Amino acid sequence: MNFRITIRVAVLVALCFGVVSAQTPSPSPKKPAPPARAGRDKAPAAPQVVTIIHRLNALKMFRLLARSQQQVQAISSLDWSFNLMDDVHTNVIAGLALDDGETIAAWLPEAEVEFGPVPAPPSEAPEAPAAPKPPVAAFPSMPNTFFDAPDITVIGSDGRQLPAKYIGFDAVTGLSILRLTKKNAVAAGTFKYEPVNTGEAVLLYQPEPVQGARPLLRPRLYARMAAIEGRIQTVLASPSGGVARFRVSAAKLSPGNIGGVALNQAGETIGIVDGLEGNEASILPATLIKRAAQRVLDQQASVPRPWLGVKGEAIAALKFDEIVNHGWALNQAAALANKHRGIMLTSIVPGSPAALAALRAGDVILKVDDKDIQSADDFTWWLEQAGPSSFVAFTVMRPDRPVEEELNVKLSQMLEPSFSFNLRNWVTPVKGFSLLDQGIETIALRPPVATQLGTTAGLLVVYVDPVTAAFEAGLQPGDVIQSINGKSVAVFKTDPKPATYTFEVVRKKEKLVFTVPAKKTPGTK
Amino acid sequence: MRKNICELVRRELDELMLDETCSTAALGHLRECGACREFQEKQTKLRQIVGSLGTVAAPADFDFRLRARLANESSSAASSFSFLAGPVLRRGFAAVAVLVVFATGAYLVRNTLNRPGTSEQMAKQTPAVRETPKPPQETVTRNTQEPPKTMDVAVVQNKRSQGNRTGRAGLVAIRNRPLATKEFSSTGAEVIGNAEPVGTSTPFSIDASSLQYFRVSVDDGRGNAKTISVPTISFGSQRLMQNANQFAPKRVW
Repeated sequence: MNFRITIRVAVLVALCFGVVSAQTPSPSPKKPAPPARAGRDKAPAAPQVVTIIHRLNALKMFRLLARSQQQVQAISSLDWSFNLMDDVHTNVIAGLALDDGETIAAWLPEAEVEFGPVPAPPSEAPEAPAAPKPPVAAFPSMPNTFFDAPDITVIGSDGRQLPAKYIGFDAVTGLSILRLTKKNAVAAGTFKYEPVNTGEAVLLYQPEPVQGARPLLRPRLYARMAAIEGRIQTVLASPSGGVARFRVSAAKLSPGNIGGVALNQAGETIGIVDGLEGNEASILPATLIKRAAQRVLDQQASVPRPWLGVKGEAIAALKFDEIVNHGWALNQAAALANKHRGIMLTSIVPGSPAALAALRAGDVILKVDDKDIQSADDFTWWLEQAGPSSFVAFTVMRPDRPVEEELNVKLSQMLEPSFSFNLRNWVTPVKGFSLLDQGIETIALRPPVATQLGTTAGLLVVYVDPVTAAFEAGLQPGDVIQSINGKSVAVFKTDPKPATYTFEVVRKKEKLVFTVPAKKTPGTK
Repeated sequence: MRKNICELVRRELDELMLDETCSTAALGHLRECGACREFQEKQTKLRQIVGSLGTVAAPADFDFRLRARLANESSSAASSFSFLAGPVLRRGFAAVAVLVVFATGAYLVRNTLNRPGTSEQMAKQTPAVRETPKPPQETVTRNTQEPPKTMDVAVVQNKRSQGNRTGRAGLVAIRNRPLATKEFSSTGAEVIGNAEPVGTSTPFSIDASSLQYFRVSVDDGRGNAKTISVPTISFGSQRLMQNANQFAPKRVW
C-alpha cells in the first residue's frame, strides 16, 4: 500500500516539475550566440515604439462581423463549447508614444468595435429640397460600458506592461488614441516635424512573433519588436504646402507592415505606416499624427470626419467611357477629360448632406470654397479643412446644364463614412424591421445556435447604445431577444411602429422581460 | 436475393476511387436496378465535390492546439494508476519516475539559472532613459557595441502577396456561390518578416491561455452559406473581415 502511495507521489511530483518546466520559456540557453550578421542590431533604440495588444471577445467579433460589409443574415452554427465572453482574437501591433510620454497613437485594425452606435439608416421619406436640415446622426461620443470597455494592453520597449485607457478614434487619419494611466511611463522619443527628404533611410518598427518558445500547458506566446530598413522615395505635398504623406520603399513589404512606426537613423519618429501602394509604404507624417492626437485629447472622445455622403473619383483618374456612362454628352465628356480637374460623384447616400443639397451621381465638383480640386486627395484635404458640420461652397458641373453652378452644402460628420454605404446593404435581422433605430444592433441566430444559448430562435444583441431607453431598461450585449411584444422575432413587424417594445430575452439561459418606450425616429409622429 | 446483390454492388461502389470503373457484373446489375443507379450517381457526385475541394492545410495554430490537447490527455491519463498492477511494472515505473524527477529538476535549475529575461524580469528593470537626439553614426556605433540582447530564433516568413489594406490573400471562392469565404484557418498569423530585421528588442510574453477558436457558419438570407474563421493571433494592423470598412477610406466622403 505504502509502495503504491510512494509511486503516486513520485509521479505527481514528476508531473509538477514537468508542468513548471513547460512554463519556462526560452530556447536552449546553451545554444551559442549566433555570429552577428552584417546590419543586425544597428537599429537605434526606440523607446517611443510600444507594443499594443488588443483583444476581442466573441461578442465583439460578432459586432465586427455585423458592421463589416459581410452579408450576414444569421449565424447558423457554432462550436458547442463556444462562450460569447471568451477572447477569440488577439491583435499585436506597434504603437507610438508621443513626446508627452503618455499619449499613444496606433492603427487599431478593429477599432470600429470600440465605436458607439451605428447611425440608423435614413428614413424612406421623400427627399427634401436643398433647404438646411439637421445633420444626419453621427457617432456620438459615448462612455464605454462594462461590456464595451476595450481590452487593451500596452507593452513598453523595455517589456513592462503599462495600463492604458482608450480615448478615441480620429476619423481623419484612422488613428486610435490611448492614454497611459501613469505619467511618463514611457521614455518618449523625439519627433521630426520638419519635412523629410527623399533618399533618407528609415526604419519601420513592427512587433513579430518569436518562434520556438511556446510553453506546453499554459499557452503563452512570445513576441518582440523588430525593425526593417527602408528609404524615402517620394514626399507628397498637401494643397496647403505641408507634407501630406511620404512613401518609403523597403525589401518585401507586406500588409503586416501597416501600422508600423517609422523612425529615421537618428531615432526620431517620422510617422506611422498607414497603407501600402505597390512596393511602397505610405507614411502618415508625425505632424499629422500629433494633430490627430490633439483633436481626440481635446474632446476626450472619438472625433468624426466631415461627411458628405458620396463616393467619387477624380476626373483625371477616369476613363473617357466612364465619364460618358454617367450621362455626359461626348463633347462635354471630352472637355471634362481634357481639363483634368474635378471629382465625379458616382454614388450618393440617400438622406445624406449631398442628397439634401440635390447633388446627383454624374455631377462633377470642380471647386471647394474656390479651391481647385485636381485629385481625390485635394478633395479630402479641403473637406477636412472645412471640418465637420460646416458649410462649404461647391462649384459643380452637371451633365444636363451648360454652365457651372454654385451649391452651398452643410457637411455632416461620421466616424466611418463606409458605414453609410454598408447601411444600404445592412441585412435586417428579420425581414421588414430593424432595431437599429432603437440603438440595438443584433444578429439573428438559427435554431441550433439559439439552443446553445438557451432558447429556440432569436436575435443576439451585439451592441446597445448607452444613451437609449433599451440600455437604461437593462438590455445588454449578449442577450438573445426571443420575442418582441409577444410575437416571435421571426414574424414581428414594426408597421405600424409600436409605442413600446416588450423584449423577452434569454440571458445566461434565464428568461427576462424588458419594456422599453420606442425611440422616436425622424419622420415618425 | 436481389437485395443481397444490391448490397454487394453498393459495397463495391463505395470502395471505388473517383477514376475507377466497377466490375462487369456490377455494371450489368446497374443497368437493371434503378435504385442502385441512383446510388451510384449520388456517390459519383459526392466524390466529385469532395475531389474538387483540393488539399486542406492545417490551421495556423494546429500544432499549438494539438500539443495542448495531448498535454491535457496525458495529464488526465497520468491520474489513473490502474496500469501499475504488475509488480515488475510497478518497480520499473518507480525507477522511471525517480529518474524523471531528477532529470526535470536538473533541467529546471539549469533553465532558471541561464534563461534570458522573461516579462516578469523585464518588469523589474528600470525604465529606459529618455534619449536626446544623436547623430546617426553615433547611435549606430553605440548600439553595435552593446551585446545583442535578443534570442536567435526563426521568424515566420510571410509568403502572402502584397496588397493594400483590404486586398488580402487567402480568398477561396466556393463553387456556384456568389459569396466568397475567407478561410483563415489555413493561413498563418499576420507576420512581418519578409525582410531581414536590422534590430530586435528583447522578447516579451503574451498570454494566450483564454483564447478560443472563432469559426462560425453564417447564411446571407439568400440561401448562401459560408464559414468565417479568424486566426487567434495576428500581427500588424490588418483587417480581419473581408471587405471590412477601411479607416480613412479614399474616394468615400
